[in-house]
Amino acid sequence: MKKTLLPLLAGLAVIASGCSNLERSRDLANPNVPAAVTAMQVCSNCHGIDGNSVSPNFPRLAGQQTAYLVAQLQHFRSHERADPPGFVYMWGISHHLTDDQIKGLAEYFAKQVPKPNAPGDAQQMAAGKEIYEKGVPEQNVIACAACHGPKAQGIEAFPRLAYQHADYIVKQLDIFQHTQGRPGTPMEAITHPLTGENKQAIAAYLQAFPD
Amino acid sequence: MAVLVIKKIQHRLLAVATLASGAFAISATLVPLDAQALPLFARQTGQNCVSCHAGGQFPELTPYGRMFKLTGYTIGQRVAVPISAMGQITYAKVRDTSKSDDPQADFQKNGSPVFSGGSLFFGGKVTDNIGAFVQWTYDNYAGQRVGDSGNNDGTFQGKPSADNIDLRYADRFIDANRDLVVGVSVNNNPSVSDPWNTAAAWMQYVPAASVTSHRFADANTPFPGNSTGGNVAGINAYAYLNKMVYAELGFYQTANKGFSFMSGGVNDAGTTKLKGANNPYWRLALTHEWGAHNLMVGATGMVAHIYDDNVDTSDPNSIHRVENAGIDAQYQYILDPHTITAQVAYMRQKTNYSANTIAANAGIGSPLGFVASDGVTPLADANDSDTTNTFRAKLSYVYQAKYGGSLAYFNLTGTTNTESQSSGYDPVTGTIASTDPLGLGSILSTRVGGNLSGNPATRGFTYEAFWMPVQYVRVGAQYTAYNKFNGASDNYDGLGRNARDNNTLFFYVWGAY
Repeated sequence: MKKTLLPLLAGLAVIASGCSNLERSRDLANPNVPAAVTAMQVCSNCHGIDGNSVSPNFPRLAGQQTAYLVAQLQHFRSHERADPPGFVYMWGISHHLTDDQIKGLAEYFAKQVPKPNAPGDAQQMAAGKEIYEKGVPEQNVIACAACHGPKAQGIEAFPRLAYQHADYIVKQLDIFQHTQGRPGTPMEAITHPLTGENKQAIAAYLQAFPD
Repeated sequence: MAVLVIKKIQHRLLAVATLASGAFAISATLVPLDAQALPLFARQTGQNCVSCHAGGQFPELTPYGRMFKLTGYTIGQRVAVPISAMGQITYAKVRDTSKSDDPQADFQKNGSPVFSGGSLFFGGKVTDNIGAFVQWTYDNYAGQRVGDSGNNDGTFQGKPSADNIDLRYADRFIDANRDLVVGVSVNNNPSVSDPWNTAAAWMQYVPAASVTSHRFADANTPFPGNSTGGNVAGINAYAYLNKMVYAELGFYQTANKGFSFMSGGVNDAGTTKLKGANNPYWRLALTHEWGAHNLMVGATGMVAHIYDDNVDTSDPNSIHRVENAGIDAQYQYILDPHTITAQVAYMRQKTNYSANTIAANAGIGSPLGFVASDGVTPLADANDSDTTNTFRAKLSYVYQAKYGGSLAYFNLTGTTNTESQSSGYDPVTGTIASTDPLGLGSILSTRVGGNLSGNPATRGFTYEAFWMPVQYVRVGAQYTAYNKFNGASDNYDGLGRNARDNNTLFFYVWGAY
């Protein structure tokens, strides 16, 4: 056994020392790997090559604001963002990314075209639209559109929300409302008065975001 | 001779134990103990187990876990100490231990917790294109020690050996219009390279100790499998296009010469010997993901030419040919906090016995000398070929990657063969015996393992509940209930043992670091 395994391991080590394939690398600790390569080779596994993730476990990133994406990746890297999906998946992914790579990844996904989703329950979407555009004054809920924009396209650090997975939005609203997992945003106070029904309605509306 | 063998094994054991403790010590000092950084691959990616294992229930893979494997275990960064370990403590209790000629031998350690053994894992990312998954397993109950009298002295002998080995080269050509993963796997077990958990090498998951009380636990119920088992050597090429079509083709040979590490720790007599390398294995699968759902529908097959005797490959007439053909499907729904998995697999295996076997069996009736119930009429000659059909389905649910349960159904059917009869009517006494009526001197079976019909049919359910208090520990209980065993529901051995007497309660504690 030893006679064959040792030369094999030695051979692999030699190959390892001199071999990197920057055009198609999945190395997350090599600062020379271009961001677009990491986006396609690694990020695409969950978020989709065009940022339109299939599974609602993973947020849509297509068309997202560059500044927002940069901030999130930095917060994953520094562990400031500690919501469960954040630390389960993203702490490790972002651990060794350089500032340049983070900027490149953000730009890669920001320029992708968001894909619309099929409409959900009409009544729920109407309720969500109402909250999104006007808030719920009697509950002291302010209009989402005030920061996220009339088209839910976001602006700078305020994320784009249109076409986002409803499940992801509900879970993030829960995190803002009930945990300290995403500190440093006004969302903790803003989400405080939201009911479960409010959150479901907003999420259904944003996922479809009909014109 | 026996003493020499034992000494050799003891030395090897000592070496492995030293290596293992050294590895633990090194990894404990060098590897940062982040909450999310546990076994090898988690340290490499920095991600939690649930990223790659559906609901945290290792070894079942998520869509991301499958891509991690298919891209050659190369995502992430190379770790300084590429070693992980896992171990199991198990307990099994068989429903009825009274209908046995020798309960102590038939149900070793029944009702006692045992340290089954453990595995060391090596590998992970090597280069941007090369990665490895190498599992060496220490079986704490691999054999029994031989006492001064020359018989087993009742104590057990542990043994480490190569378990699953998968060395890969992979590349991924991806852009907006196309996603093509291609790779080569050098491995020691047909289907160990497969990323779906309905594959022969992966559908069985909870390890059971190799003591006889564990023989009816779920791990030892019928699972679809290829004829060669592990510890052979294969080279497979595969491609996965647009996360839609997966194809793989490999060829297997004996794990000798340059490939001997594939059967490391297994002695010559225990290593399957294949004729040449014309033993193809193939796999096709179609996959689709929508929302939180993903589905795979696939087919697989293998043709193997295997020597009857592992230590004698001189006679070309001593080769049997085994054809496997299977279909399988796996559905997963993964959306925190829920994970649902449904698996179905069916495998047909046809064995064409060697020319020597066929010639030896011609005209002799039951090879073991049994006769029909009238005590006179000879039984049929042993078959020239046999076919088995193994069906298995499993449904599992995990909540919060912590609490889970599963229900599995297994059904093995196959041809009846007098060769497989290990009990039958003795022409001298006219009664059913489980010993050799021809007086060749060997005890064919105890009642518990007996087979009166010569038919392999075995059928039942396994119910399981498990809990993962932390992501790298799983505690579970399984109850396996048989309604058919060795061809019959009642009196399958001809001496009064029923299939349900084998029902087994099985507990396990399974941890990895």
